[in-house]
Amino acid sequence: METIRDLIPPPHIEGIKHFVDFASVDEILRSKDFRQGSHQESQPFFGDSLLTIDHDVHFERRRLQAPLFRKEALEYYEHEELLPLIERALEECKEASNDTGEVRTDLCALVRTMLARISAVTTGIDGVDTQERTDAFRTYIEQLGTGATVEWSTEDHATVISRILEIREGFVEEFYAPSVERRKDLINQFRSGDLSEDDLPRDLLTLMYLHWNNNWDDELPLREATLYLVASSQTTTHAIPHLMIHLHEWFQEHPEDYEKRFNREFLKRAGHEAIRLHLPSPALLRIALRDVVLSSGVKILEGERVACLFTPANRDVKVFGEDARKFNPYRETQNVKPWGFAFGGGEHTCIGRTLVTGLSARTDNDDGTDGTLVNIAHALFNAGIELDPDDLPTYTELSHHDAYGRFPIILRNL
Amino acid sequence: MEKNNGYKLKIDPEICQGTAYCVRVAPDLFRVNQGATVDVIEPNPAPEYEEQILEAATLCPTRAITY
Repeated sequence: METIRDLIPPPHIEGIKHFVDFASVDEILRSKDFRQGSHQESQPFFGDSLLTIDHDVHFERRRLQAPLFRKEALEYYEHEELLPLIERALEECKEASNDTGEVRTDLCALVRTMLARISAVTTGIDGVDTQERTDAFRTYIEQLGTGATVEWSTEDHATVISRILEIREGFVEEFYAPSVERRKDLINQFRSGDLSEDDLPRDLLTLMYLHWNNNWDDELPLREATLYLVASSQTTTHAIPHLMIHLHEWFQEHPEDYEKRFNREFLKRAGHEAIRLHLPSPALLRIALRDVVLSSGVKILEGERVACLFTPANRDVKVFGEDARKFNPYRETQNVKPWGFAFGGGEHTCIGRTLVTGLSARTDNDDGTDGTLVNIAHALFNAGIELDPDDLPTYTELSHHDAYGRFPIILRNL
Repeated sequence: MEKNNGYKLKIDPEICQGTAYCVRVAPDLFRVNQGATVDVIEPNPAPEYEEQILEAATLCPTRAITY
């Protein structure tokens, strides 16, 4: 099957200037002469969240949220939440195995389950504990993700928005509202001196209600929470199936590397390649704040929307070499991050990037964490992951995203 | 300024994209250079700058700062 596809620009970016080379995209993302231009249809889900605000307001919001991504916090998420959840999710697969004892499951759903609780912890959603509650929560995240990326949907967009807003009401009633009420109560106890600040949960919702800004509307924490819930699982859920199929092919072509499936440095490089080639956000839009002339000489007028196509930019041979379109875990890159624009660029670079790549990526000079990609890949190889030869993975038909919709696997060692 | 050899403040110039968030939270330690990225002013800051260092390093969108 074809495992590396070209980006077909979706309808919502037709008719506007496209930039496909690495240098131009990089210049636009770094420039302060542009503002966010994506997520116009998905405003009901992401409006005024960190993703859609710019410059001074973006700085202040990011500053508020930054403590959630300090080294100690990342170590806690990984060691206390992620690793046990990976083990638990695999154990549940084993318990649900068929009569022959063969453990079969869908990789997309499995990864989402593994990440559900860490999403809940960073966001501040309580009650994601039992299998039943985790399944319900995971389904809500999937649905919210569909609404949040409605621009890419192959369905009628208005219908999608209406349907997901209705589903969101169920999420609010079942998970969100009780979590907010508990946090407001704890903050009141803190303000009255009955609790110390250290006793408050360290999550997004607590931070927002503790440092409430009167310029915010009442629903902003819900939209910010939606961003966290969707984004914190989207990159890894999107990338792991691509990573597994590329490694499957790589080991077939390079059997001498098969023993490296437990080597974390090898898995890290492979993970970087998977997200470089298959971006969770394949294109972003920007709006020019004034007339701009790029280094290439291209003119962009004030108010003009432009599309930065990350997929071709991340396969630019000038930056990633002649084999840029291929998966190569031994790739060496000069002067750029190995994952290119997988986490965006400029001030909108994904705040949760280190959750995915870990802190021991070469940019951090730290050996604190490995990130979700490496830990999940490592656990899957320990579990003896194999593709199901009778039921090969298929791409989603519900979105223009480069994403798998089904990815049947067998876990031989469970 | 009392020196603290425990900190070796660095910015990876390949990673820095010049958002200058670090300059906003730690103006004594970082400055924007002519290349529109950021330089470290004081690579061995005193202990009193610990909170600024941690905030700058975490707040940097590309996490280009090590310490």
